[in-house]
Amino acid sequence: MAEVEETLKRIQSQKGVQGVIVVNSEGIPIKSMVDNSTTVQYAGLMHSFIMKAKSTVRDIDPQNDLTFLRICSKKNEIMIAPDKDYFLIVIQNLTE
Amino acid sequence: MPEFSSPRFLHHEGYYKARTQANFYYCYLNIQVFDEQGKDVTPRPLYRPEPSASLHRQSKILSTQDFSGATGSDFLSSLSMHQTSGVNASLVGPFSRTYGSSSISKSTTSTTESIADEIVEPGSRRDTAISLSDVLVRREEIKEQLTKEDIDKRVDIYLTETETIWLLDMPTVMVSIESEDAEKVKERNKDYIELCKNRVGNDCFVERMMQTLNGAPKNKEVQCDKILMEDKGIMATSWDLYDSFNALETTLAPSVTERKSITSSSIIDLESVILARIHEEEEDHSEAILKSEKFQQDLFFMERVLMENVFQPKLAAYRQLPEEEEEEGEEEEEEQKEIVVGSSILLDLSEAPEEILPPSLERLWSYTCELTNGHNVSCMAWNKLNPDLLAVGYGQFGFQEQKKGLACCWSLKNPMWPERIYQCDHGVTALDFSLANPNLLAVGMYSGTIAIYNVQTHNTTALLDSSESFDKHIGPVWQLKWIEQDRGTTGDDKGEILISISGDGRITKWLIRKGLGCTDLMKLKRTASERKKLTGEKEKKSEALISRQPPGMCFDFDPRNTNIYLAGTEEGHIHKCSCSYNEQFLETYQAHKGPVYKIAWNPFSTDMFLSCSADWSIILWRQDSLRPILTFSSTTNVVHDIMWSPKSAFVFAAVNEGRVEIWDLSVSTLDPLIVTFANPGVKFTTVLFARNTDCILIGDSDGIVSVYELRNMTASDSNKV
Repeated sequence: MAEVEETLKRIQSQKGVQGVIVVNSEGIPIKSMVDNSTTVQYAGLMHSFIMKAKSTVRDIDPQNDLTFLRICSKKNEIMIAPDKDYFLIVIQNLTE
Repeated sequence: MPEFSSPRFLHHEGYYKARTQANFYYCYLNIQVFDEQGKDVTPRPLYRPEPSASLHRQSKILSTQDFSGATGSDFLSSLSMHQTSGVNASLVGPFSRTYGSSSISKSTTSTTESIADEIVEPGSRRDTAISLSDVLVRREEIKEQLTKEDIDKRVDIYLTETETIWLLDMPTVMVSIESEDAEKVKERNKDYIELCKNRVGNDCFVERMMQTLNGAPKNKEVQCDKILMEDKGIMATSWDLYDSFNALETTLAPSVTERKSITSSSIIDLESVILARIHEEEEDHSEAILKSEKFQQDLFFMERVLMENVFQPKLAAYRQLPEEEEEEGEEEEEEQKEIVVGSSILLDLSEAPEEILPPSLERLWSYTCELTNGHNVSCMAWNKLNPDLLAVGYGQFGFQEQKKGLACCWSLKNPMWPERIYQCDHGVTALDFSLANPNLLAVGMYSGTIAIYNVQTHNTTALLDSSESFDKHIGPVWQLKWIEQDRGTTGDDKGEILISISGDGRITKWLIRKGLGCTDLMKLKRTASERKKLTGEKEKKSEALISRQPPGMCFDFDPRNTNIYLAGTEEGHIHKCSCSYNEQFLETYQAHKGPVYKIAWNPFSTDMFLSCSADWSIILWRQDSLRPILTFSSTTNVVHDIMWSPKSAFVFAAVNEGRVEIWDLSVSTLDPLIVTFANPGVKFTTVLFARNTDCILIGDSDGIVSVYELRNMTASDSNKV
């Protein structure tokens, strides 16, 4: 547990990281390092997106599965590590 | 006898009218149904009511109710089942047979449809009347018994194919010309045509007309409870099918048809929905997620991804990917335009735009973290298998400054936090990765202890430790190397051995017995062939380990012949020795006036080797000459480390306290090619060339290992001098 905390702290203090959110499988945020409204927004929006991406990957080949998802946008980059029970979302902004 | 008007039954499949002339005083238990052949095809009743109760109710029912109103959609399925039981003799045999052979779910639809207007007989109506209220009662009973377990229980529904039931048979009116009956049909057609022709004026045929009486129809309205409809949607993506199929394979027989799997997947969905709900309660413990190993792993990957983002341009430079900067491209274009105009001489000169820029070192990034701050980098080594994995040892050089040391493994993918951290009680002074087992890291310490770690696991305790060994080193281990050697003498095959040189004046060979990779703590055994180092100038050879032997500082094996090696001592002598002789040196090179800190054979022209020492000089030797070939002294600082470039025979790097020098012997033997200064207060202590790229790593006394890229070095071929 301590290692998890430590790693989370290190990630949070990385250059450009705006937030780290952990969401459970229903879209309810478990842990968040940004304010509440942003958290809820991200959690809700990402959930359906991840489901769609996962469904797409598996439709093409059912033995395949989604391991990592990155959305690069103009202002920042959203990195998502999906899993059966949770999603880990990290938002990073390198354009400063 | 009361007459009942035809009731109208509403049913999902369709509806039918039944006309009855009922004779209700009939106990159906005594019915016996015989078909044309006299076989007893009495349908066995689905439900046996108590005879007394049914008789009793019978009378009541008949007097009062109007059955048409009492039909609800609930009863219909059971009613229709009962309908079938009431089929009696006058019906054609097949229907009763159908009832007997088909399974229940199918029979409801088939038999209701099959019962057409004319066919419903008095008997059936009778049975409905009797069993109606009984059915009512029974229905409720059934409802109560349906508990949660029943819902959850897996219900196996077997769909089988019944015999073909002919609902409509319209034989064709067309016959192929080629069929057997064609002739007969043709003749019949011909006859018929003639008949029609003859009919016209024939006396045999007379027209007659008839009138039929139509009964007066009457409208009847029926009411029923609202039929509840439910929409059920299900997703049938290919992965859903795959998942359900795989889950099923463990339980059902392999002869499952695809249709079945679809229906079963809907069952499974239901089950999983229920399961998910149960899970929900568990998963409210989000702590479980945060503690899970998978989460830790995901965090680990995420960190690496972030690092990649942050360091991307530097890492790209490390890998020598072309830069994307446009400015440089423009400059090049301009130069090229000039080339086109200029003469051929100009062409030659400007062909390589690199030459315009002087060679330089460009700092990419540094491996550092808060753990290593303040420690002195004493040694660095690349992993033999994975050229991106770096082991760095942290330990002080001087006796006064000793504190706890550290050995870290850094990965290229995460320059901000080491992958492995091994805390050591004493300062780490030497490190090397094994070649035969690339996961083994040998660490030598200031106390003379040698520890071997397995970097594959996250275990931070040493795999093997020599601290309890009988003949361990007493002085600090200044250098460690894994060497592949022919060990014909000991009878073993060519294997890898660990060689160390230490401040107690011994070069020792460490053997790891068969227990490589086992988890038991094993003592390292040393072979019998221990070599003791003697000074060149000493008069008597003493066996004592103390003080009469100069501390050995460094060694290097001849790349061509691993039996020969060079060892440097604190006195400034370099001895050439052989593994087969442990009493005498082959040669001694004396030129340094201070301790020799590093010796390096030239990897390309293997006659030459380089040595550096605390007397501010670097000396280039040739193997067969006892006098130095060249001496490089550029500063008045102790030279801590040197290394030949793996790419060129002429280039080597040297680190003295305040600066890093890159020498290129093909360009100049008097001055270094590139000089980079350290930050004030920080001393450079170690240098390492990267194997697969043009970068060098420099460690300093503050615990920082910086990665520099060598730019604009002209590539020179590896030739002998």
